[in-house]
Amino acid sequence: MKAAKARAVLALLSLCVLSIAGSASSSIPTDPFVGIAPEDLKYYKSSDVIKCKDGSKKFARAQLNDDFCDCPDGTDEPGTSACPGAKFYCRNAGHSPVLLYSSRVNDGICDCCDGSDEYDGKVNCSNTCWEAGKVARDKLRNKIATYKEGVTLRKQEVEQAKLALVKDEEELTKLKNEEKVLKGLVQQLKERKEQIEKAEEQERLQKEKEEKEKKEAEEKAEKEKIKTEEEAKQEKKEGEIKAEIEDIGVANTDHEKIGLVEDTPSDQNVEDDFEPLKEIENGDNAVSRGQQANGVDQHVVEDKDESVSQVSQKESEIAVEDVSRADQMTASGKDLSEDTEALSKEELGRLVASRWTGEKTEKEDKDGIIEDSEGEDHEETSKDAHVEDEDEYASDADDDDQRYEEDDIEDDVDEDVPVEDHYDTSSSHESQSDDELDLSDTTTQTSPSWLEKIQQTVRSILQAVNLFQTPVDKSEAARVRKEYDESSAKLSKIESRISKLSDKLKYDFGKDKEFYSFYGRCFESKQNKYVYKVCPYKQATQEEGHSTTRLGQWDKFDDAYRVMIFSNGDRCWNGPDRSLKVRLRCGLKNEVAEVDEPSRCEYVALLSTPALCLEDKLKELEHKLELMENEQPRPHDEL
Amino acid sequence: MRTRLSLFLLLLFLSSCAVVLSWKKEEFRNCNQTPFCKRARSRKPGSSPFLAADVSISDGDLVAKLVPREPDPDQEDQEPPARPLALTLSAYRDGVMRVKIDEDYPSQESPHKRRFQVPDVIVSEFESKKLWLQRVSTERVGGDEGVSSIVYLSDEYEGVVRHDPFEVYVRERSSGDRVLSMNSHGLFDFEQLREKKEGEDWEERFRSHTDTRPYGPQSISFDVSFYGADFVYGIPERAASLALKPTRGPGIDHSEPYRLFNLDVFEYLHDSPFGLYGAIPFMISHGKARGTSGFFWLNAAEMQIDVLGEGWDADSGISLPSSQKRVDTFWMSEAGIVDAFFFIGPGPKDVVKQYVGVTGNPAMPQLFAIAYHQCRWNYRDEEDVENVDAKFDEHDIPYDVLWLDIEHTDGKRYFTWDKVLFPHPEEMQRKLAAKGRHMVTIVDPHIKRDESYHIHKEASKNGYYVKDASGNDFEGWCWPGSSSYIDMLSPEIRSWWADKFSFENYVGSTPSLYIWNDMNEPSVFNGPELTMPRDALHYGGVEHRELHNANGYYFHMATSDGLLKRGNGNDRPFVLSRAFFPGSQRYGAVWTGDNTAEWDQLRVSVPMILTLGLTGLSFSGADVGGFFGNPEPELLVRWYQLGAYYPFFRAHAHQDTKRREPWLFGERNTELMRDAIRTRYMLLPFFYTLFREANVTGVPVVRPLWMEFPFDEATFDKDEAFMVGNSLLVQGIFTERAKHVSVYLPGKESWYDLRTGTAYLGSKTHKLEAPEDHVPAFQRAGTIIPRRDRFRRSTTQTVNDPYTLVIALNSSQTAEGELYIDDGKSFEFKHGAYIHRRFVFKGGKLTSLNMAPATSGNLPFKSECIIERIIILGHAGGPKNALIEPGNLKAQVEFGPLLLQGRSSSGVLTIRKPGIRIADDWTIKVL
Repeated sequence: MKAAKARAVLALLSLCVLSIAGSASSSIPTDPFVGIAPEDLKYYKSSDVIKCKDGSKKFARAQLNDDFCDCPDGTDEPGTSACPGAKFYCRNAGHSPVLLYSSRVNDGICDCCDGSDEYDGKVNCSNTCWEAGKVARDKLRNKIATYKEGVTLRKQEVEQAKLALVKDEEELTKLKNEEKVLKGLVQQLKERKEQIEKAEEQERLQKEKEEKEKKEAEEKAEKEKIKTEEEAKQEKKEGEIKAEIEDIGVANTDHEKIGLVEDTPSDQNVEDDFEPLKEIENGDNAVSRGQQANGVDQHVVEDKDESVSQVSQKESEIAVEDVSRADQMTASGKDLSEDTEALSKEELGRLVASRWTGEKTEKEDKDGIIEDSEGEDHEETSKDAHVEDEDEYASDADDDDQRYEEDDIEDDVDEDVPVEDHYDTSSSHESQSDDELDLSDTTTQTSPSWLEKIQQTVRSILQAVNLFQTPVDKSEAARVRKEYDESSAKLSKIESRISKLSDKLKYDFGKDKEFYSFYGRCFESKQNKYVYKVCPYKQATQEEGHSTTRLGQWDKFDDAYRVMIFSNGDRCWNGPDRSLKVRLRCGLKNEVAEVDEPSRCEYVALLSTPALCLEDKLKELEHKLELMENEQPRPHDEL
Repeated sequence: MRTRLSLFLLLLFLSSCAVVLSWKKEEFRNCNQTPFCKRARSRKPGSSPFLAADVSISDGDLVAKLVPREPDPDQEDQEPPARPLALTLSAYRDGVMRVKIDEDYPSQESPHKRRFQVPDVIVSEFESKKLWLQRVSTERVGGDEGVSSIVYLSDEYEGVVRHDPFEVYVRERSSGDRVLSMNSHGLFDFEQLREKKEGEDWEERFRSHTDTRPYGPQSISFDVSFYGADFVYGIPERAASLALKPTRGPGIDHSEPYRLFNLDVFEYLHDSPFGLYGAIPFMISHGKARGTSGFFWLNAAEMQIDVLGEGWDADSGISLPSSQKRVDTFWMSEAGIVDAFFFIGPGPKDVVKQYVGVTGNPAMPQLFAIAYHQCRWNYRDEEDVENVDAKFDEHDIPYDVLWLDIEHTDGKRYFTWDKVLFPHPEEMQRKLAAKGRHMVTIVDPHIKRDESYHIHKEASKNGYYVKDASGNDFEGWCWPGSSSYIDMLSPEIRSWWADKFSFENYVGSTPSLYIWNDMNEPSVFNGPELTMPRDALHYGGVEHRELHNANGYYFHMATSDGLLKRGNGNDRPFVLSRAFFPGSQRYGAVWTGDNTAEWDQLRVSVPMILTLGLTGLSFSGADVGGFFGNPEPELLVRWYQLGAYYPFFRAHAHQDTKRREPWLFGERNTELMRDAIRTRYMLLPFFYTLFREANVTGVPVVRPLWMEFPFDEATFDKDEAFMVGNSLLVQGIFTERAKHVSVYLPGKESWYDLRTGTAYLGSKTHKLEAPEDHVPAFQRAGTIIPRRDRFRRSTTQTVNDPYTLVIALNSSQTAEGELYIDDGKSFEFKHGAYIHRRFVFKGGKLTSLNMAPATSGNLPFKSECIIERIIILGHAGGPKNALIEPGNLKAQVEFGPLLLQGRSSSGVLTIRKPGIRIADDWTIKVL
């Protein structure tokens, strides 16, 4: 009644005023129930006085869709734009129904494919639901097909993961047993050895006593000599570093330069090492499901990987340190301001620009060099390049020094405690082949034989030695020592393997262990000039030519295993530490796509993997398709 | 001498401490490192050697010679006696007096160099307001021995030239009280161009830069006094309080003078007298005793201004013949001439009107331009643009403009697109335009020196670049690397530049694309103080030092002209500029440059914008969120809540910052930011009406409280709250986790909370709880605010939407307000194509009156829009019905909410669906 009255009033008004006020002033829909979802219709039709859904108010039926907002939540205006909180339902027969914000109703833009949101006659929206729906359904069908196949793949993955995990655990148990036995043997040998040594000591006591003083005096002299040498060396090195810093300061700290110097050699290492590694990785999938021998391969891969990362990590740490040193200098401002006076005009320009752009200038510098076509500039650049080269040589040498030292240290460590995963840093290392053999020994199925062999040997030794109490048989003592050394070396290898395996098993492989196969693998994606490498449980990197930037270390899964997070990557010049979020989606292959940097140094990537092809989701999609197909009108409806 | 030394030590101390600050203080000159400033500041009151002679009337002006006094034979090391100067005093209608002082060029010999007078700033209409002076009278004022010459300015005011010592002032005719005066303290000095003496070194060195100064010292300085004044304001741009603090005088620690020298200042500090990106040498005084007056010096060279604290002249022996309270100031400029305008007032709005009468009224912006802008350095590629655009829709947040910073170009070659990131610019703009949205791209004044770049090729071939001191194209370093700078002083070059914006020339541009001018101070990364050397040469042999502060103005002008040409003169340009000068208001908007995400910078944005508004630049804003750094969500939300009331409302961020689009901080914060943005959209009809008011009168959109309450002394130094128009008071919240906020509500009438309709008494400071969901805002009793309560994706879809009127009744149950509507795009409003209504509520009756003069033009503008709701606050009775005339129709009256999603309140009467058209005359009687 009221609505009718209002309309009459409006009609009257339009008569009085000399224009067509009626049509202008009213967007009141002809269908009072427009914009209401079918499941909601009952709510509106049940009585003449309707409650606002938030309970704040009541309104008369005539106020429903009268283009005047009465309810704060918009209950009374589902079909008009009068209430900001309201939602407009379009049926979209032939496609899926949609709930629109009321801001879209009669705004001159066709939002619903059936055009029902534009009913005030200002625009004409054609019904595109049939075509759009067809496209959407086809898309959905494709998605379902992918899911179906993906679900199967996922099942296989899960099965294999379970088997592999069992195997890992078996191996671990076995290794632990071996460890126990071996520990016993080593202990026995140790005791024996100590007995022998005690005897020897007594024998030698006299002799030694005589020589002791002389020897001590010699040693002392030697030690002091070494000490002074080391101090000298240390001083020299500090001096060099200082000089280097000063050089950098004078040469208008260019991050790129430092980056290049530090990165180039290490990157080559990484690349060299990664080549064969990739081959193994590729085979890995098939292989790891197979026999024990394959397991060896995989371990090799992992080990290798890790040592590489150790090295590169160290080096990048050095690089980072240097860069941050340079940063500090840049940031401190004082050094800079003192320096600017001595700069050339171009250097000054670049420097000032870099305040706003941060490390971006590096790239631009490069661009500039490439793009500059003037002869004069060319001269300058070549001069620059030359200087850079010199720098590079200089610090290259430094760098090598450092690396040798590191190697030395590692060697030392090796001699004390043999570390399994050593053999890729330096090919000249002799222990390598031995290690490899030993390793395969420890892990092949024939392993009991080596253990038995050792046990036998030890038994025989112990028996043999037991026969001769004193005096000490020299050859026998040597044999005990040798056996002790070998067994304890083997023991540490087993211990190390145990710790690696237990570390691996501590990782979160997902609800159904569906991510087990991600362990020790990397996924690559090439985008423009960058290669992105995502290695779950380890790290993610961005490589450009020879320089590698760490986007993050493995952190965790997030969002119910739909996101992988890598955090604490390399520091950004004027921003946070780099980080990467990898969003996972169902796909038939493990593939990284669409790496993006929406905020400075915060990367996101998309990884499709069968691991995300969940059965529940498949059912959901199938249900959705079913609904869409049911909604399809007969073709005649369209016309 | 001792004070000088201690000052020096203090300075030394300060500069050594300042290293930690990000602002590179040492890269910029202070007054002591600027010879003309140092010289001028050391001058003693009364030292001016000039007296006025040969006073007469010529061509309707008072003319005189300023001749040097006989030199004092006792004093040694005298400068050679100055030559006479030529003074011209003119009177203009509406209370403006102009005084020009230049060298008295002998007519027979034409000197090789004339001093620079800034062209293209004074609008042509101003000359038509000139009063043709007929006669000059003389009298002995006060106890003067000598005479003064007096001319007519208006029926109330006279201009006075005192002969000896020389002084110029404006006085009230009846009382003889002074309003404004110049050289009352005898600090006027004028270094004339002269031949270089043998052995004289004119070069100036600063850091690694040398200024050849081929014409030697040529600075000008003088003192200006404002009478009956409590405070002075104006002279942007700097991050400082609205009321200018004294920079010299007893009890004032060493302070730099206020500097006017356009510079690209990296990470500028809040609360500093240091000059930023723009310069407007226009100062306004206001006081309870006299009201308001203004002084404007049209001069584009570096300027330094001291505000002198009371008692600064105690030792000078000069006592002005006036007992009025006074603010003295001291003005120094490196070059140019004296071209000074005295604005008589007497009200704050009068002074602003007088100023824009000289420099031009603010342009009328398009409707979209006063809505919300989304910017970032940089939206990286077309996909990024599409995603951001889609997210606004997903979260139902309206926005009108998406911006692209320098990275969208092909290697910082403006007018080009990065082919990889933006391969389909036209399609991208069309997609935005399909939702009624616009795009803005950046075009900077530095041109990449690259032979394959068409702009560079043409500019270098045609000699369009600014030249260095030796006459070669000046080369500096900026974003693209080695760059040159177009010389926009030349009309020919400006016209050439303007043509670059045509759709044919700017490949990839569409009609929905508008322009942003950055770096136009100009910013030169390897130049002295990050700008162009002062001895660089412009068109007509003008030195950069003479023109510097107007450099950005000319660039802004040329770009705006380009958009005008592009649209065949019927599409209102939108150009945002960072640098500005008097007159910039004619060409578009400005913003406060590279601010930082800090609470203090949020606070200082208010006085900065208010100052810009006072000096003609009504269309201004600060980067919402702060350009540098990452704002905490709370700061970002507060910035949106305040920024929604900035005349120019844009969010912007540095490329190193985290993404901060409104939906990235959780649902609650999204909601708060959406609310803030929607508040702006809701008030757009009100804002648009205010922009029109500014366009017609120059009275700014946002105003200091004292502009609306000139007799309420408590408001004179308030700059944390401001008025939007005459109707709305907004109080920012500038602290973290604020629990309470104090708001001073001026005037005798009540104020109504914008959200709830709760009434608060005027002339009182209220301590309120600090709400999370908005910053306090109040509608003044006695006003009517037009709103649009429906939300759309952008302004484009709102054209047919109905209006809401909010009537806040005062104690006599009356209220008034206005609504201006046009097509929001074209210049047809200049030919009458608009609706301008005045709403008056009086005697229980609301009347809509036509404000458009019958003679305004012949182009029609039609709107079918209706009023869907009339809200009345503070009504004494409890009416049930409303009667509409003509038609004798009834509409229902009920209690309703003030905001659609708010709660109903008994204080808020709502007339439901009156259904009347906005375009018509009608009355509604509340029964």
